[in-house]
Amino acid sequence: MIKITNLEKIYRTEEVETVALNKLSIHVKEGEFVAIMGPSGCGKSTLLNILGLLDDPDAGSFIFNGIEVAHFNERKRADLRKHNIGFVFQSFNLIDELTVFENVELPLIYTGVKPADRKKRVEEVLDKVQIMHRRNHYPQQLSGGQQQRVAVARAVVNNPKLILADEPTGNLDSSNGNEVMQLLTDLNEQGTTIVMVTHSEHDARYSHRIIRMLDGHTVMENIMV
Amino acid sequence: MLTNYFKIAWRNLKRHKAYAFINVFGLSLGIACAILIFTIVSYHLSFDRFHSNKDRIYRAYTEFHGETVDRNPGVPSPLGKALRNDFTFADKVARVITFNDILISLPQEKQVKKFEEASGVGFVEPAFFDILNFPLVQGDKKTALSSPNSAIITQTLAKKYFNTEDAIGKVIRMSNKTNYTITGIMKDLPANTDRRQEIYLSYENLKERNEWLAGDSSWSGVYSESQCFLLLKPGVTQQAAEKQMAAVPHKYYTGRDVQQLNFRLQPLAEMHFDGELNGNADKRYLWALSFIGLFLVLTACVNFVNLATAQALNRSKEVGIRKVLGSLRSQLFWQFIAETTIITVIAIAFAYWLAKAGLPYLNRMFEEQMSISILLDLRLLVFIVLLCVVVIFMAGSYPGLVLARFKPIIALKSKISQKSIGGFSLRRILVVTQFAISQMLIIGTLVIAGQMNYSKTKDLGFDKEAIVVIPVPSNDKTKMTTMKSRLQSLPGVDKLSYCYMPPAAGNNNNSNPTFENKSEPERWSVNIKNGDDQYIGTFGVKLIAGRNLYPSDTIHEYLVNETFVKKLNIASPQEIIGKTITIDGVKKPIVGVVKDFYNYSLRSNVAPIIIGQNISNYGNCAVKINMKNVKTVLPAIEKIWNETYPENVYSYSFLDDRIARFYIMDTIMLKLVVAFAGIAILIGCLGLYGLVSFMALRKTKEIGVRKVLGASVPDILWIFGREFSQLLLIAFVVAAPLAWWAMNKYLQDFKFRINIGLGIFVLAILGTFIIAAITVVYKSVKAAIANPVKSLRTE
Repeated sequence: MIKITNLEKIYRTEEVETVALNKLSIHVKEGEFVAIMGPSGCGKSTLLNILGLLDDPDAGSFIFNGIEVAHFNERKRADLRKHNIGFVFQSFNLIDELTVFENVELPLIYTGVKPADRKKRVEEVLDKVQIMHRRNHYPQQLSGGQQQRVAVARAVVNNPKLILADEPTGNLDSSNGNEVMQLLTDLNEQGTTIVMVTHSEHDARYSHRIIRMLDGHTVMENIMV
Repeated sequence: MLTNYFKIAWRNLKRHKAYAFINVFGLSLGIACAILIFTIVSYHLSFDRFHSNKDRIYRAYTEFHGETVDRNPGVPSPLGKALRNDFTFADKVARVITFNDILISLPQEKQVKKFEEASGVGFVEPAFFDILNFPLVQGDKKTALSSPNSAIITQTLAKKYFNTEDAIGKVIRMSNKTNYTITGIMKDLPANTDRRQEIYLSYENLKERNEWLAGDSSWSGVYSESQCFLLLKPGVTQQAAEKQMAAVPHKYYTGRDVQQLNFRLQPLAEMHFDGELNGNADKRYLWALSFIGLFLVLTACVNFVNLATAQALNRSKEVGIRKVLGSLRSQLFWQFIAETTIITVIAIAFAYWLAKAGLPYLNRMFEEQMSISILLDLRLLVFIVLLCVVVIFMAGSYPGLVLARFKPIIALKSKISQKSIGGFSLRRILVVTQFAISQMLIIGTLVIAGQMNYSKTKDLGFDKEAIVVIPVPSNDKTKMTTMKSRLQSLPGVDKLSYCYMPPAAGNNNNSNPTFENKSEPERWSVNIKNGDDQYIGTFGVKLIAGRNLYPSDTIHEYLVNETFVKKLNIASPQEIIGKTITIDGVKKPIVGVVKDFYNYSLRSNVAPIIIGQNISNYGNCAVKINMKNVKTVLPAIEKIWNETYPENVYSYSFLDDRIARFYIMDTIMLKLVVAFAGIAILIGCLGLYGLVSFMALRKTKEIGVRKVLGASVPDILWIFGREFSQLLLIAFVVAAPLAWWAMNKYLQDFKFRINIGLGIFVLAILGTFIIAAITVVYKSVKAAIANPVKSLRTE
């Protein structure tokens, strides 16, 4: 599903050049659950942003579903992203002015789903993450775990092929964290590919494979049994 | 999608109430002013545009080519007849000769009813009603005035006189002399016409009012209310008609008059705006107002852009999320345009209400009857819709573009920098624009106020205080003498004089004088002041050579002013004493020279003036009173007047009020500019307050760090002070020359004017500085005295 080869990303300011990704090559198969680990500044988040088509690489190849996307323009990237990729962030990133229902509905609006279908699909997915009873609440009225469940619901409502999770349990206590990890595992079992950046060895154990990064390239891969 | 946009926009506004209030209130004020200004401007532009043949209607006027070219809206009364008989370019020609302040009485009523009609009567030829659209609701416009002693009056007058609109056949009496039978009822005049006569009489009766004007050979003089309207044939241009009219002086005049006189045409559309030809409005004022309106909308939009970009930082997370979820730049742009639309529409609704509430004040100020209704006025509706669209795009597009441009990752992490939202530089430019607008308006206000004050307090060369002017309805000598002695015996009456007009007046008689035995009159005209021997004493005009006039009822001798002497190139006033002057065929000696006094507003130069006695021309009595006795003396004057002229209606005015009316438009403009400048400053302050709030928020960490490192409260305040002082100074550098240029243009209109001194500029910059300081002080002090531990923790 994802094949990146010799990917490079360099951040430049007037005086300093920081190499975030250094000839990085990774291959993720469809249906896989991959965890990316490494110390702060090793390039995990940069990698995730490029995988999510939120940022573009300076060099190298990124093939997504058989298409070279490394140099897609903004419109094409937005289009590919909204149909294929779901995001789960550490800080949930829900829109404060929208209710739970409206937050989850948002990706469907951008993909042009009709209102009646939207309602049905949002309700299904809210049911799945067991947050239906809070559908009319605003994010500030929910606990961290509940907010992250909403974020997961939003990530999956469009049935994406790939979910990118950036430290999804970073802001949660262990019980809420486990619940979220279980949700991701369930999704993966239903066929969704998951790439997760994490600092937590515990969370990483939910994955099939751990890619360890240092200074912008992979240093080790662990296959989980 | 749109619902989502509006939903989130609405919730955002609800959440950030202060921001919403500043935006809506600021925009409302700006837009309300724009609506009011539009109403004023379009009202004036609509004057006499309702006539069906408006583009073919002209008024003939007279041009005098002397040392200067002077124009008069009147024409010799026989001109109308000549234009009709000698030329074929006009479909219709109609003469209308108007007399103001006419007494109307109702002879048929049981109790004698008297009315003083300020707009007077017009002796008119029937074709007038074919040229201009003043429809009759009763009677036939073709025949109504064809017989002598017939009259057309408006519905309002019919109701006023007879308590019914059905007044055909009823009789009115003019000036206690001639009866007229009402043969037509004219539909009430619309507010937007300069033809304010409500009584039209048969032209045939003109001879009873003024035999000379009615004569076919009265080519030698021009009465400004003797006017002639023409409906040109389709396809005939003004130039073509004027070319033919150039033959008129050759046919009807001899000698130098042939070269000195010219008759021209004034299009209907220009009549309202040509002050020299008695137009009531000045297009320059309308332009100035339009610019102020534009400034106000601009300053409100600047606020919006400023606050929206400052607030953009708070919206970055939402933008990031939307982008991650697949939103395109254009979708985000339109989302923020939708948001701006909500704010603008609310603001416009509020502004419309504000403008409606403010209109009665404007109407009172202008003495007009303007109205605001989007249901009745399509132009206003179009203007408001256009304004709405312009404001939405002016205010919304920049913040929209900025927000839509955010990089999703940076936006999500709330790491958007000042630089990426246009930074301080853009907002600095915007604040400078606002300050500059405010400063320009302040300078404008100060200059107009200064000039008005100068006009009010300048020594006009005569005494205008405590002089009551009362009319003299008939020149019956016995009555005048009796009234004079009775008035003089009143305690509190110091002096009094019978005269045509006070020294400075809107109505003036002019004629070309002939000095001594010269064969031809001078090429300049002299302003003739008819007044008795008490004239200079009552008005405090100073005699500088010779003596005052001896009492007389007719012209025996003249007084002249200094300018008159200079015009004749005579070295000293003494030298002219004893010389003769011929005016309108009357040759009399000059017995005295008076010091120059202003005979009109400060917009005009002092004219050469001649003062002579002529009882038949005295229309007013000027009474110099002691203001301590004003409460008793005014009713006493009224009583004596009413006993002297029981058949007339009493009225009086103070001379200083009459003079103040020369500057009525300036006074109104001053009030408007003050009001609009105030509003511009208020809008600017709202924006500044919003901006300093954001600035305080953004600088929380900086302030914390500085305080930890030992900065004092004044040091912190200086961070804010320095920023705004710099902006203020830059604004001043932009505003001062622009304002100086514009106000110099304004002042050029006055022959006697103030200089724009340094003081005005100092006052303007100090004023804005103080206002800005008051606005920013609360927020900056709050930020400066905050506990640094707390402010550092927030980071």
